[in-house]
Amino acid sequence: MSGRRAATLDADRLLADARERLVSRARREGLETVGYRVMDSPLGPLWIAVGPRGVLAIHYGAEPSAPELARIVRTYGPGVLPDARRADPVAREIDEYFAGKRRSFDVPVDLAPLTDFQRRILRATAAVAYGDVATYARVAAKAGNEKASRAAGQALGANPIPIVVPCHRVVATDGTLGGYAGGLDAKRRLLALEGGTVPPGGWPKKRRA
Amino acid sequence: MRTGDVATFGELLERHEREIFAYALRLVGDRDEADDIYQETFLAAFRAWPPPRRGQERAWLYRIATNKVVDRARRRKRLVRMGDVRLAAPERDGASMADLTAAVKVLPSGQRAAFVLRKLQGLEYADVARALECSEDAARARVAEAMRKVKEAMR
Repeated sequence: MSGRRAATLDADRLLADARERLVSRARREGLETVGYRVMDSPLGPLWIAVGPRGVLAIHYGAEPSAPELARIVRTYGPGVLPDARRADPVAREIDEYFAGKRRSFDVPVDLAPLTDFQRRILRATAAVAYGDVATYARVAAKAGNEKASRAAGQALGANPIPIVVPCHRVVATDGTLGGYAGGLDAKRRLLALEGGTVPPGGWPKKRRA
Repeated sequence: MRTGDVATFGELLERHEREIFAYALRLVGDRDEADDIYQETFLAAFRAWPPPRRGQERAWLYRIATNKVVDRARRRKRLVRMGDVRLAAPERDGASMADLTAAVKVLPSGQRAAFVLRKLQGLEYADVARALECSEDAARARVAEAMRKVKEAMR
């Protein structure tokens, strides 16, 4: 290893240590409201944010979308900092889930920045058990409006906390997969992880309960 | 590096922490002190949020960092050590780096900051001027004077 390369690595470590101390101080001073980190998963990188009341966001990708970040800033202000210490418990549970060692999540979720309807839809979705699937219509009915299945689909499409709030378990009434923020392949893989093989287009209508 | 507005502390930190740390290290030459300046700079920025003008976060951070360095030097009434030469060195011309570091070390703090911002951090003169809260002409003059002294010292 050249001296310059060693110096670069040394500098990276220095900076990482300095950042950790900086973020601890910001946390102690109350300047940090939300902590985030990026984790690797079998479905690619996930950006995880944890606020004072629980998980705020799990985003497919290494960076949040602008609307996602705007939603967080509107609720909790600009104090959004990289903070593995706060996000690690969530990352650990997600790792366990992908390893097949966890069927439900213990970390609290924070649905406060959402509308009342979105919250009701996501709560109804959270009640769909591991290995089960429900239809958009069923989730809409559980949320108190059986005619709102299209709106339920939209609310689930905007689910800021996929995986932990298992919107992948909600499919169309005809048995097709519907949509998914992480892409249909991700939805298929999550369902396969929980319950076996999912046909490429979802399930044929006759096999659905 | 992404462009656009900085909406969160994390975006500011991720975009600029590396150069601010390098700047602090080049100015003070000591890793513990550079660490302190880096932390104080960003904490001050978070406390003073939002950044004063859109698109000028970088100059704002350099200004805060420069003031932190100057305050410290004043408090201690001595020139700081230039210990971690290798880490402080820019990636060029390794042979004469110790000489350059020694030459930079003895510059007055205003010239030293201007020289490091322009020649080692690669800022435009407009940004050097904003960071040092002086005119662009004054920034050019400081860098020119610093260059003259550095060349003299390294001859």
